[in-house]
Amino acid sequence: MNATALYGWLAHGVVIGALVSLLPLGSRRRILGLAAIPLALLGGPAALLHGFVGTPSVTLLALAACQLAGRTPTPLDWRPAWSLIGVATLFYPMALGFGPFDPYAVGYQPWPLLLAICVLAALLLHCRRNDWLLILSAALAGYAGGLYGNLWDALIDPLLLVAALAVVIGRSRQPRLAG
Amino acid sequence: MTLSRWLTPTLFVLALAAAAWRAPLPAAPAFVPPPAAASDPAPAFFSAAMLPTAAPSAHAAALAQLADGRIAAAWFAGTREGAADVAVWYATLGAEGWSAPQAIATREGTAAATLAYVRKVGNPVLYSEGERLHLWFVSVALGGWAGSMLNHAVSSNGGASWSPPTRLQTSPFLNISTLGRAPPVPLADGGLGLPVYHEFIAKHGEWLRLAPDGRIFDKVRMPQGGRTLQPAVAVLDGQHALAVLRDNDSGPGRIRVATTADGGQHWPAADALPLPNPNSSVAMLRLKSGRLLIAGNGETGRNQLLLWLSDDAGKTWRTAATVESDADPQAEFSYPALLQDRDGRVHLAYTWRRQGIKYAVYSEAWLNGGGR
Repeated sequence: MNATALYGWLAHGVVIGALVSLLPLGSRRRILGLAAIPLALLGGPAALLHGFVGTPSVTLLALAACQLAGRTPTPLDWRPAWSLIGVATLFYPMALGFGPFDPYAVGYQPWPLLLAICVLAALLLHCRRNDWLLILSAALAGYAGGLYGNLWDALIDPLLLVAALAVVIGRSRQPRLAG
Repeated sequence: MTLSRWLTPTLFVLALAAAAWRAPLPAAPAFVPPPAAASDPAPAFFSAAMLPTAAPSAHAAALAQLADGRIAAAWFAGTREGAADVAVWYATLGAEGWSAPQAIATREGTAAATLAYVRKVGNPVLYSEGERLHLWFVSVALGGWAGSMLNHAVSSNGGASWSPPTRLQTSPFLNISTLGRAPPVPLADGGLGLPVYHEFIAKHGEWLRLAPDGRIFDKVRMPQGGRTLQPAVAVLDGQHALAVLRDNDSGPGRIRVATTADGGQHWPAADALPLPNPNSSVAMLRLKSGRLLIAGNGETGRNQLLLWLSDDAGKTWRTAATVESDADPQAEFSYPALLQDRDGRVHLAYTWRRQGIKYAVYSEAWLNGGGR
């Protein structure tokens, strides 16, 4: 096995742990989430998820780690969730063959993407979103470390899109506070 | 206070610098030009035989010539296509005939090496590069072949043992729907150009530019007006190459074409060939004589396997030989693979009635005589 396979398997263990910690299990849900990680790794669910969805992005892993660490509020709040949905809505259809341009191919020689990330980092600094700047740094480090051949894979993945959709749907179903 | 203020931006700049350091900046791609055309003095000959049986159902053969001159074949076989017991099998042709097939890629072995669930394997591609023998094959975790991921393994001892397979990251959506069928072509920088295809929602050919270390440098679509699959590529010179593709549209098909004039950076569609394609895989080879050879199915379907020749870099084609023909429309002779060895002999392997892989070897003179 290579480092990417090992990373993907371990990261899916963490993702499954984070999912367990989201269940309504009372005050022990974080402990149960952490306990779920070795079970997911050794029992097969992590390998199953790894087979179905491929290597998870660093962004998803970081958010899962935040969830397990009990960090509140989660970095994936309303605005980042909508931003991810916006990017994914354009990115995935084009990458899967709609239209002549394949944005995913840019990630193999990602100089334009690195430029766009610099602009995004400036925006995050301006908005004082150090949490997302750290996540972005971790994704770049994951790419630099050779875990990914394509920078896009370090940044986003379909499970992250599902998480963003869950945040947006969950938020829109919450009753609004009277002003 | 000051430290925490600057720590995150500093980490970002460091990570950005590291990512920029790793980001490839390769030179413009170019093909290794084919050798000058030379006639083959060998007399006309043709012989054919079945490869040793590995399992009741066999499909999708691939061929390569090893450094020691032996011919190697790989195919997938099991109780039926897509069954859990399907494996990629491998055999070599030496002085004593074909060796007993050995399984070189299984779902269990692939799952163990990639730490990921695998439901089935298929579609091997072989390529010999000096002492290194490459194997690409697909694995599927969910759904049909459209859910395929591409895997790569290498042997440095003629296929006796293989490195654990690694998955190539070729798609952002669950890393699915990249399949290989035809062998790669060598690039001038020491890398390879691997023709692959995508068949989840959209169906089109793709071109993977691989670095000498196997890393993906680029992925390029082969856009066509309709649905196409399974490109096979022949290099014409350092910048020009021709790709032929399976026509996956409904109705009577023609072999579809994409060309490149810039070493594979772009693959615009060209006019389809005046050759039939009943939605089936084709193989193409540039012969030592400079002519192009295509193997594929005829107008009536997969019950007829034909060879076509072009003397003018693919502008015009003529039927060179009928390899198989059966009046039963359910008969299948499909998924051909072509190889010309260093002695000029042309090798052909193909699926024979889904029961096995048939292998034929012939000379260019046999083709010149119309397959007689």
